Amino acid sequence: MTQTDRITIFCAWVIGIVCIIFLMLPIVITVITSFTSSAVYTLPPPEWSLRWYRSLETRSGLWDAVKLSLNLALISTALSMVLGTMAAIAVTRGDFRGKEAIATFTVSPLMMPGLVVGVALLQFFREIGLRDAYWSLLLAHVVITLPFVMRTLLASMSAFDFSLIDAARTLGLSYPRAIIKVLIPNLAPAYLTGGLFAFLASMDNYPISIFLTDARNKTLPIKMLQYLEEQPDPSLAAISSGLIMLAIIVLLVASRTVGLNRMIDT
Amino acid sequence: MFDKSTDSTPRERHYLDVAGVAKSFKGTAVMDQMHFRVAKGELVSLLGPSGCGKTTLLRIIAGLLDADTGNIVLDGRDVSSLPAHKRNISVVFQNYALFPHLTVAENVGFGLRARGMSTANVIEPVQEALALVRMDNFADRPVSALSGGQQQRVAVARALAVSPDLLLLDEPFSALDRKLRETMQIELKSLLRSRNITAIFVTHDQDEAMGVSDRIAVMNAGKIEQFADPSTLYARPASPFVMDFVGLSTRLAGRVTAQKDGIATVETTSGPLLAQCDFAAGTAVQIGVRPELITPTPSPEMNQITVQLDDVMTLGSKTVLHAAATSDTQFLCELSGIRNDFARGQTVTWGWNVEDTLIHAVPS
Amino acid sequence: MIARTNRIALLAVPGLVFLAVIYALPLALLLFKSIQSANGLTLASYVDFFADEFNRVVLWRTLRVALLTTLLALVIAYPTAFAMARAKGIWLTIFLIALVLPMSLGVIVKAFAWSILFRSNGFLNTTLQSLGITDEPVRMLFTETALIIGAANVFLPFMVLPIYAVIRQLHSSLPEAASSLGATPWFRFTRVTLPLTLPGVVAGSAFTFSLAISMYVIPSLIVGERQQTLSMLIARSFLYLRNESLGSTISAVLLVIAIFVVLFSSWLAGRLGARQ
Repeated sequence: MTQTDRITIFCAWVIGIVCIIFLMLPIVITVITSFTSSAVYTLPPPEWSLRWYRSLETRSGLWDAVKLSLNLALISTALSMVLGTMAAIAVTRGDFRGKEAIATFTVSPLMMPGLVVGVALLQFFREIGLRDAYWSLLLAHVVITLPFVMRTLLASMSAFDFSLIDAARTLGLSYPRAIIKVLIPNLAPAYLTGGLFAFLASMDNYPISIFLTDARNKTLPIKMLQYLEEQPDPSLAAISSGLIMLAIIVLLVASRTVGLNRMIDT
Repeated sequence: MFDKSTDSTPRERHYLDVAGVAKSFKGTAVMDQMHFRVAKGELVSLLGPSGCGKTTLLRIIAGLLDADTGNIVLDGRDVSSLPAHKRNISVVFQNYALFPHLTVAENVGFGLRARGMSTANVIEPVQEALALVRMDNFADRPVSALSGGQQQRVAVARALAVSPDLLLLDEPFSALDRKLRETMQIELKSLLRSRNITAIFVTHDQDEAMGVSDRIAVMNAGKIEQFADPSTLYARPASPFVMDFVGLSTRLAGRVTAQKDGIATVETTSGPLLAQCDFAAGTAVQIGVRPELITPTPSPEMNQITVQLDDVMTLGSKTVLHAAATSDTQFLCELSGIRNDFARGQTVTWGWNVEDTLIHAVPS
Repeated sequence: MIARTNRIALLAVPGLVFLAVIYALPLALLLFKSIQSANGLTLASYVDFFADEFNRVVLWRTLRVALLTTLLALVIAYPTAFAMARAKGIWLTIFLIALVLPMSLGVIVKAFAWSILFRSNGFLNTTLQSLGITDEPVRMLFTETALIIGAANVFLPFMVLPIYAVIRQLHSSLPEAASSLGATPWFRFTRVTLPLTLPGVVAGSAFTFSLAISMYVIPSLIVGERQQTLSMLIARSFLYLRNESLGSTISAVLLVIAIFVVLFSSWLAGRLGARQ
């Protein structure tokens, strides 16, 4: 190893550590701020207090928004998993022209500006007469979650050894049962990871949802920005910290079952 | 077969001089006081089981790994503190390490371009190098389109294109199937000889080492147990490890019970045996003899043992008789051709000349 | 044989139909409506859009911010990916957590956090003052620089991960082979490491750039009304101005840019992949 190599590796590590701090900084600040006793964001807090967490209990519309977001995230992710599994099987096992294009198409919503998709859906639903906010949101959230599920499923399924399905069929299972009993359990890590990212994307989505909500159906991100405009106090930091806690728990579960390394392999 | 008759401590072997090299990983010493010398134009192998340190030594010589202490002198130059790219030592890697984003010709010309040669001037040396390995028609192909054997040849051409002072090869044939392996070994050896290139092979395959090398360094746990030409290693192994690693043998454990004028009597589980050595009475030893030197019809002055055959393997050109083995004994006898006069379960007497007995002291 | 393959292909139909109707069709309609007028097809709305200098400023600002965000993210991500590839044990876990946790949090939490950080009495300003680097609070909030830093922070994991994935696949024997052939560290970097990691760089940059041109929440919280981006113009048109045709036009412009980025990056990736 040359001196140059040593220096570059050292610099890479320095930047890497700076990067870690840079990435964790907003999270740490948010959590600290949520425990402040004052209504302003000065740091360090003059006193530690749980008042902002307590204020969440009475925050109007917060828990309805949480319930709606969870509902949308879970159902849309489940639907995406079903649609995604079928499409992924078709692309990896089928032999027809344009399967590459289909794969790219199903993942493309990730690269499209969310706001534009929201606008397009708003106008489209109005054209076809869909006025119900909940159904509009649900359909939109399937569009949001499907690419995440497709991405991980496509990668895992391409690596899956389909002779296992053949083996199951020679042992007496029909093709659909073989898929359910052999393919899906073996791809569990991919489902977990893809489902996780899909769920989080749905919970976090703002640009598409903002155009489809109405007064009674507000998702959590929309509610949070509303609070920010009306009453920008540290209670928002408390909500954020709650989300951070949720993310940490989910990640702990995922890392024990799937492993952090595998999660980012997609 | 080997045109240089060598003894294992030659003089003038100073083209490559590895002296006093030591290396530890995480507090465990992998190598200590390693001395190793190669003559110009010699083809040498580092042979040993995995973990013996042969790849570590190779990487230290190449400059890909820093030794803790020691010197490496190549053709009079002290390269110990030079980085790998200044040593002019080429390496052929086990997985060939061809650059996937470059064509065959670009791969072969890489080293020359790295030394500042212009694209125009590189063309001719690259063609020459490719012609040496008979890959000149593949110049503009992408490397992904090549078979294993073709990739290996390109890797060799690439390494030779820079006219290295020393060529190192890390298990270059291990990824090839058997037939191809043998062909490539012959080709490579003839190519290296024709250009008087000094080369060191790393391998765990004894047949490969024997087939390709002028001398073989048999390594075990970071030490060279014996560094000699193949026939010496086979006929006069310096330790039980070398005897077991290079070639097969019948072997027994025993203890010296008498010593007179260079002939020791050794008591073994198969009875007393004689061997030529100076070991004193009471020494714990291992007795060994090469299977093809054993006869099932011994004459009276030979060492004799009685065994019960548990397997007779007919291999066409030879027949191998096998008797029950334990952790410190093994009974193998190799006879030429097909032999129908032996069967499983038979009790036979085997014998061999006393001077063919290999004997080594072992820790008791 | 043929029948079976067709049956498998049919599996894709529900998902495809769904996306076609609920995703592709609305977008196509949006594009179509933007060139539609009482007298047939026209580009009048686009002409009007670009004629207005304010719009051009916003467009240029959106592209510039996205580009600088991508560059900043790349400069940090590339060395980080290398360090990560060499990390083992607890250090690797730390890197992974630092990447995955922010990714799981969502834009609002992070944009909000940065809006706190950038305040005049916020953490960054107080730290700078206590270290003696500045005497009085520096205005950070509402500046383009703050936006770029905040956006780069939010999108950084999406730049690091593709590069990290490519570096991990790079067998260590390749740079070693380069060295043993006589390549200086610089030659080795430019002729071996860089070309082989380029696909990851392209993938990460394309993704980061498209996220950055589309971002809405981050600029809303960090720069607000003062320095608008295209997304904010779109939102403003629909939610406040109630000028839907303007909003549709701007949406179409942004969509075209996004599609262009996708096509360009996959062409680039194809070119790079063809050589390997």
